Amino acid sequence: MALPVSADATPAAPVRSVSARHFVRLKLRVMGNNFRGQGWRIALFIGGALLGLWFAASGFFLFAAPGLTGNGEYAVLVAAAGGGLLVLGWLLLPLVFFGVDETLDPARFALLPLPRRTLVTGLFVAALISVPVLAVLIASSGLVLTAWSLGGWSAGLVSVVGVLAGLLLCVAASRAVTSAFATMLRSRRVRDLAAVLLAVTAALLGPLQIFGLAALREADWDRLAGVATVIGWTPLGAPWTAGIDVAQGRVWAAPVKLLITVAALGALLAWWSRSLESAMVGAASAGKAPVRRGVAGGAVAQLFPRVAGWARRDQFGALVAREARYWWRDARRRANLITIAVVGIFVPVMINVTGGDFAAMGEEGFTTAANDSSPVLVTISMLFVGVLAAVTLANQFGFDGSAYAANVVAGVSGRVELRARMTAFSLYVLPMLAVVGVVLSVLIGHPGWIGLTIGSLVATYGAGLAVNSLVSVLGAYSLPETSNPFAMNSGAGLTKGLLTLLAMLASAVAAVPMVVAAALFGDAWLWLALPVGAAYGLGAALLGAYLAGDVLDRRQPELLATVTPRR
Amino acid sequence: MTVEHPALALRGLAKRFDGTIAVAGVDLDVPAGSFYGLLGPNGAGKTTTLSMAVGLLRPDAGSAWVLGHDVWQDPVTAKRLLGVMPDGVRLFDRLTGAELLAYNGLLRGMDPAVVDQRAAELLDVLALGDAGRTLVVDYSAGMKKKIGLACALLHGPRVLVLDEPFEAVDPVSAALIRDILTRYAAGGGTVVFSSHVMEVVERLCSHVAILAQGVIKRVGTIDEVRGGRSLEQVFVEVVGGRTATGEELSWLSR
Repeated sequence: MALPVSADATPAAPVRSVSARHFVRLKLRVMGNNFRGQGWRIALFIGGALLGLWFAASGFFLFAAPGLTGNGEYAVLVAAAGGGLLVLGWLLLPLVFFGVDETLDPARFALLPLPRRTLVTGLFVAALISVPVLAVLIASSGLVLTAWSLGGWSAGLVSVVGVLAGLLLCVAASRAVTSAFATMLRSRRVRDLAAVLLAVTAALLGPLQIFGLAALREADWDRLAGVATVIGWTPLGAPWTAGIDVAQGRVWAAPVKLLITVAALGALLAWWSRSLESAMVGAASAGKAPVRRGVAGGAVAQLFPRVAGWARRDQFGALVAREARYWWRDARRRANLITIAVVGIFVPVMINVTGGDFAAMGEEGFTTAANDSSPVLVTISMLFVGVLAAVTLANQFGFDGSAYAANVVAGVSGRVELRARMTAFSLYVLPMLAVVGVVLSVLIGHPGWIGLTIGSLVATYGAGLAVNSLVSVLGAYSLPETSNPFAMNSGAGLTKGLLTLLAMLASAVAAVPMVVAAALFGDAWLWLALPVGAAYGLGAALLGAYLAGDVLDRRQPELLATVTPRR
Repeated sequence: MTVEHPALALRGLAKRFDGTIAVAGVDLDVPAGSFYGLLGPNGAGKTTTLSMAVGLLRPDAGSAWVLGHDVWQDPVTAKRLLGVMPDGVRLFDRLTGAELLAYNGLLRGMDPAVVDQRAAELLDVLALGDAGRTLVVDYSAGMKKKIGLACALLHGPRVLVLDEPFEAVDPVSAALIRDILTRYAAGGGTVVFSSHVMEVVERLCSHVAILAQGVIKRVGTIDEVRGGRSLEQVFVEVVGGRTATGEELSWLSR
């Protein structure tokens, strides 16, 4: 550069510093712009807000019950158990079902000269602007009422501080955990480790369930109160019980518990801040895959993975092969597959095994416990797994995004498209379902029920495929093009939740005949369930592909437009 | 075909998004065997027009024909004749280059042996063979354009519709793409592409249309449109650009 430049090369200090306020305003503006001209989005948002309020109100009365009835005995129990469940819910639900609202994608801030502290605080405060946070705030204010009515204004005041800190803890936990998992699933090196961690996380659902069932069954309130006291000293329960402690005269406990909360909050934010950095840089490059030269065979042979090797080298085969590769290579899809595998194994085991006598199980092993499980109960729990597996396809075109244009340009017929997608997904899911069926029937001590479990699984899964292929054509929505597999567009989280719920309900209804048959036919059903279930599932899936394929043929361009992310 | 149909014919294509008009009635005849450049500034409606012409975006009004086959009434036949490279659309980028080509070839109902042979040739000519097992998502921008072009060419279409084929492409790759397109057109194919790079259009095209604010402003052979001036002069005049006077943005110089 030949022009003389003034010697000072350090940039001028910014005139105004950036604060969390800017992030909040940015988030509100982005949310507002998303609503513009989209009546149905506003309607969905209002619907979701009302739903949230309803939950908030029932939560409020649960938390306020000890105070309203003047019964201080169970106050700690309610605060510790309820609050702990809240924190766990914020931790687990985004991973398994809902994803996190990434209205403000951290990667977008990578180029701005912001200190990390400002960025983390800003994103954190912006994350607080959401319906679920408001709902939890309303619900947990029931605790304030309890503390106040039991211990006067000082207890109430401590409780206000505790509840607010607990709320912050919830949000920080959900952000830190999803962000960390996203980082791990993105990296090609440690993604298998991430799978294991996710499994462990989801496995936490199990002990929780045991705890809940035991609580209902035993009603051994003294023992539970002891457990609650312990939970109250962990970050899970500390913020919620601080106010109650003051009310019950343990004034010294309150500052300690608040300190525990603040320390946990600080640790979570530090964790989040570290993985945030990698999310910001990771968006630019996900790391190169190793370059392997000299692959055997031509292009066609390379396209077909071993699981799809049997497929014919035609349009259908190509679709199956590509989908099969995508279920493994796309982080978002892989996260879904792992979730099904983990939840699919644990939930039915918990339902059926702990459905028996919890206390007896500890002493005499699983076999005694199994005496309680009946074919109907087993079928119902299988229904849940089949439905959960199939609902993954509810937004199958959203996974593709604008890449779906290739299929539109090639003029793929809707029926072939849907049949191929079902087939490719089943390549992974059917073996998984078989394992679930075998493991479960062995665990409950009825190896002879393998036909029943697998039959119900396949029937439900097939019915679910049919329902979800229709949902995926009519109710598709775009996913953000970030590298975070848990990220959702703002507002889409609710759409996703409602659609998922609807699809799951419809699939469950479609599979009800299997439950009825299990109840009616008695022992003969144990043998009939497998062939009948397989035929039912296959028939339902084919019928679904046939009907939904017709719809797809008529609205391919519209579907492409809805799954293309707006930029 | 006994009657000579235009390679691509558009009649009254129109589209509006959320109340703003993107394309307001475009008529266009692309003669078979021509090399057709669709010029326009950013936001003129080039991508929208081409998307409606190839069946990716349903028009609010109007219709499109490929060699006499209606794209929206008889999509299967029309799409068989078309090779398309959309812009701003992702490829199935979790596949390697070879896998992506195989996928597109089989999707078009081609014979696997032919797909293998053509894919190897295309990868070789486009200098993508070195990428090996690298996923398309890890390709550079220029490589992505080239693999997109290969996908569009693979099934030997009669009409090639390319949206911004020279955007974000380095000079070496651009020269390669130009060569391939010239050979394709010389062999009887028709090329329609959008661009705002005057120099490329002037060098390649036999016909030009200038699109601005969703309307065709000038259309004809390149000499008709130029009328003895440079294409850039005509373009700026038609589109109505402004030039900086030097008074504003004074803070840019220190």
